Amino acid sequence: MREILLVRYGEVFLKGQNRPFFMRKLIDHVKLAVSGVGGRVWMSEGRIYVSDFSDLDECIRRVTKVFGVHSVSPAVEMEKGDFEAICRQAVQMMRPLSGTFKVLARRSDKRYPLDSPAIMREAGGYILSELPNLRVDVNNPDHVLTIEIRDHAYLSVRREMAVGGMPMGTNGKACLLLSGGIDSPVAGYMIAKRGVELCCVHYHSFPYTSERAREKVLELARLLSEYCGKMRVYVVPFTEIQMQIHQKCPENYTTLIMRRYMMRIAQILAQKEGAQALITGESIGQVASQTMEALGCTDEVADMPVFRPCIGMDKSEIIERAERIGTFETSSLPYEDCCTVFTPKHPATHPRKELIAKAELALDGEALIAAAVAGAEAVNVG
Amino acid sequence: MIYLDNSATTRPFDGVIEAMDRCMRETYFNASAAYGPALSVEREIGECRRAVAAQVGASPEEVIFTSGGTEGDNLAVIGVAMTLRRPSNFAVLATEHPAVAETVRRVEKMGHEVRVLPVDGRGIADLAACEALLSERTALVSCMQVSNETGAIQPIERLAAMARAKNPEVRVHVDGVQGFMRVPMHMARMGVDLYTISGHKIHGPKGVGALVVRKGVRLAPQMTGGGQERALRSGTYNSPAIVGLRAAVREMASRREDVEAMRAMKVHLCELLADEDYVHVNGPLPAQEDSAPHILSLSFEGVRGEVLRNALEGEGILVSTGSACASHKQKVSASLKAMGLSGERADGAIRVSLGLFNTMEEMDELSRKLIRLCATLRQYRRR
Repeated sequence: MREILLVRYGEVFLKGQNRPFFMRKLIDHVKLAVSGVGGRVWMSEGRIYVSDFSDLDECIRRVTKVFGVHSVSPAVEMEKGDFEAICRQAVQMMRPLSGTFKVLARRSDKRYPLDSPAIMREAGGYILSELPNLRVDVNNPDHVLTIEIRDHAYLSVRREMAVGGMPMGTNGKACLLLSGGIDSPVAGYMIAKRGVELCCVHYHSFPYTSERAREKVLELARLLSEYCGKMRVYVVPFTEIQMQIHQKCPENYTTLIMRRYMMRIAQILAQKEGAQALITGESIGQVASQTMEALGCTDEVADMPVFRPCIGMDKSEIIERAERIGTFETSSLPYEDCCTVFTPKHPATHPRKELIAKAELALDGEALIAAAVAGAEAVNVG
Repeated sequence: MIYLDNSATTRPFDGVIEAMDRCMRETYFNASAAYGPALSVEREIGECRRAVAAQVGASPEEVIFTSGGTEGDNLAVIGVAMTLRRPSNFAVLATEHPAVAETVRRVEKMGHEVRVLPVDGRGIADLAACEALLSERTALVSCMQVSNETGAIQPIERLAAMARAKNPEVRVHVDGVQGFMRVPMHMARMGVDLYTISGHKIHGPKGVGALVVRKGVRLAPQMTGGGQERALRSGTYNSPAIVGLRAAVREMASRREDVEAMRAMKVHLCELLADEDYVHVNGPLPAQEDSAPHILSLSFEGVRGEVLRNALEGEGILVSTGSACASHKQKVSASLKAMGLSGERADGAIRVSLGLFNTMEEMDELSRKLIRLCATLRQYRRR
């Protein structure tokens, strides 16, 4: 008898001919996730199991963060021959619980002497006779004890929901503009959840932003990497560009022009990383640079798709999501990020593209971008 | 690297590190144990007690070792509050460190009143205004000896006399964390009942300090247990740190002229910056008598303190904005606001704080770099 972890996967089962590819990726990521707790990962009859781990709770914490995993259940694996022993084990697992329960049985070994309804009946009766404070409710029970008869018997009563989504790396790669705020990590998470590998770009405006601001962004990337695995973060020196914009462009357009430069640089780094899209944390109307016209102006300079998964979310919804994935606290640290440094008093909310293009003529764009890209520092995270 | 954040903490003297190393390797015994080797530890602790007492005009048995400044402040404020039988008022300086300012808020919850003693534009207690706030119901006056943000030396003696005239039973507590061994203190002569010190601000170790409690002052202990320190502060003696503190006090005492040399550096730095009309000193001017030798607060028009701090770090010079405790909260310093400084001026402040390892040459380099950086940064003022 031993304790194992049963891993259920979500959407992958919808896949047709390329399902083996998705499964292989999923198993690889589960293996990577549990490597720190010494877990062994194996498949049997279409299920993923983890065994031989050193710490069950840590193992659950890690596996439930793997994209593509729907839920997990810690289970007891035991010999199936002695049905009485199975019932005794069931009682032991139910003993700390109270309220209502039902037994759910599944039998893939059709030679087993008891069929599924019989297993449910017998085990349920046994539990009731041993634990009189529990009651049976087959429609809406507080607890479900699952007994599966395969090569062994598997008993489980607890189920932990996982993140869902698709296995990492099954849907290409995208480049996240990571500012240090609340929104961008959430945006990165939402896209990564669909199986998209990430790389990040962060704009650093030393001395207007400090070492701590940079560390904060790397910490956010590290938190994301708990879900999406290792990734590269490009820290791009941005002060010179901001200063030039501040000096040479009309004040109400400085933020938008800055956003456009961010897009252009991100795109170059994305191509270098083999990424096919950009991701930002923008949401319609949140700030002046996120009105629909403004978003149109920033989109204009990108040749690849720009994903904005937070686009229709309220701030409170984004915060709630950030809290759930665990980035909110770090995002809330008060170090100034590059977006707030040169904020104009009255930014244009209804910008005109032709005016922006004209304003940008004052800058030596190519040289500025080339210098920023050349000065970018690549940091591996995770 | 040039380290100019000595009011946040200091680099320990080599002698401090050696003394602590020896204590941990050889005399690691519990000072309260009965056998011989423990006695030698107890003796060393006694030497530290004497060394501290000699510096502050107190007697050795009045020294209560603590974990540092915050604990000393807490023990003094809450310790006095818990002995009171009737609602009283606590008068604290507007620019107190959070270890006092936050602690008196707990006193407020115990049913006492807190009165904030205002400071003038130089950050010095406004004695006329203070007098009006003190009364026969004032149970404790708590005033820092040296302001951690501006280096202003507070008129402790006069404030204590003023409070005692209103209420002979009043207790006077002085937070000496920034003052101890850099500005003179004589508790008996100055009318101070409770004096808080910290080890790591005088090139000693972190995690040790003392509250000096004059005889006859009743305090309720905040830490109960084995009854160490006249039952005022239970807990096994942190002997390595106490031995380290002794080494620091001894070395500081033997280098009085180096303490005064810090003032010369501060004056020199201000002279180097005198032609820059955008530079302002917050608090007393360096040459003035009520300016501590080691702390200088400067504001630079058109440059945010945080940005200048970052830029100096890029040049290998470490300073702080406001005080280190407040600087990662990104709020405008409460002390500078209490002095009536404008938001922009307070936001533009950096603090240069000196220690015994600093040199005149470092002041030259700092001023050169400040002037050069400001020339660039001032072009990009926030509009």
